[in-house]
Amino acid sequence: MKLREFVRPSTLKEARAVLRELGPKGMPLAGGTALHFMRGRTPVTAVDITRLGLSYIRREGDFFEIGAATPLADIQRRRGPRWAMHEICRRISTHQIRNVSTIGGNICRVFPWADLPVVLLAMNARMLVYTGGKKRAEVPADDFFASQPAGRFAGGDILAAVRIPVLKAHHGFGSVKASRTAAAFSLVTVAALLELEGGRIASARVAAGSAIPFPKRLRSVEAALAGREPSAETFRAAAALAAGDARWIGQEGMSADYVRELAEVSLTDALARAAEFARGRND
Amino acid sequence: MRKGTRSVSFTLNGEKKTFATRPDEKLLDLLRREGYRGSKYGCGQGTCGACTVIMDGRAVYGCLLYAMQAEGREIRTIESVGTFERPGEVQNELAAAGAVQCGYCIPGIVMSATALMESEKDLSDEIAREYMDGNLCRCTGYEKIWLALRRVFDRRAGGSPAPGRSGKGAKK
Repeated sequence: MKLREFVRPSTLKEARAVLRELGPKGMPLAGGTALHFMRGRTPVTAVDITRLGLSYIRREGDFFEIGAATPLADIQRRRGPRWAMHEICRRISTHQIRNVSTIGGNICRVFPWADLPVVLLAMNARMLVYTGGKKRAEVPADDFFASQPAGRFAGGDILAAVRIPVLKAHHGFGSVKASRTAAAFSLVTVAALLELEGGRIASARVAAGSAIPFPKRLRSVEAALAGREPSAETFRAAAALAAGDARWIGQEGMSADYVRELAEVSLTDALARAAEFARGRND
Repeated sequence: MRKGTRSVSFTLNGEKKTFATRPDEKLLDLLRREGYRGSKYGCGQGTCGACTVIMDGRAVYGCLLYAMQAEGREIRTIESVGTFERPGEVQNELAAAGAVQCGYCIPGIVMSATALMESEKDLSDEIAREYMDGNLCRCTGYEKIWLALRRVFDRRAGGSPAPGRSGKGAKK
């Protein structure tokens, strides 16, 4: 993408005003790594949003709040009880990219292979959007990722933070990303959140992305898990229903059928990891 | 000033500098244009790591950073680590281990390893791999690079000083 100008607002309010005025001629820039690959004939003005105090991770009651301009490396490095976000961030791209690429940049414009939308859908995250007022609008992941989120920001609004529920005891999270090489884009990426109760699955949120046009929840898989024992058999049977929610697309060198198998195996693994986490895995 | 020209100021290898640039010039292009040729242009798309420099203590790709993003930051390039006559510790060990074949990836490897050693106390393989996963070498198969880095890391962990500049790695 061609840049005609580069501006550095110093407050969120100013950034929103600038983006609002520029309209389609403006482009918020955080890490900026994706901008180099975006096609567009008209040069845009890059609006640097990395100097607005949006880089932080803190616990706020029942949520971890991650500033939208927090680099993936910071999320990857953080450890703590009931925190699971580091696992997927370690798997995204390379160290140098993770040092600049941000959580907001990864989710405000969703590319089909993106991992974080899938994770945030499963985690039931809330996006906090700065819309100019005193209060930030809270958008649940299901709404935020119902369609391309970029449209939501056309009027200059800016993603301020992402809130991730602190996992309770008996909650477990697991994500699996299948890729050709460590740093390559996902072939299939899946994530699962399980709530266990009395030895059974009380509720489940399962999502998938890559090899389908847009990340989404797998409701048939979720339904097949509820009330069951968290066993390998349950997970395999539930994963086999994913094709009812997602039509897997073949990719270079892989038939659609192969991708389906890859997705099912990945789902089974993610569910097993989530169950292990719920029982007290702590890494 | 030519149309479309902007200026950017940042600390480069310890010195405050101001450069003329364009809104979409890449930091790597600016650095090389200004004579800092140690950072290499490899893939140009954030995969190979030959362009790695350190910004505010973190390894970043110079090819995927607009120069304007460096405003007010502290940038370090391979030129800050050592020279041909006086190589740095990592450079010495890489040379001694025979880890440098074509050498194109080496400046990036050195910068990533430098960022690692400055950021982490734990220099285990697991952590080291996280920091080094954005640098490709197409000659060596990495074995000798790892051998050299491990020597430096173990020395850090053991608290012993680097061997003198006249060490065998410096002979050329």
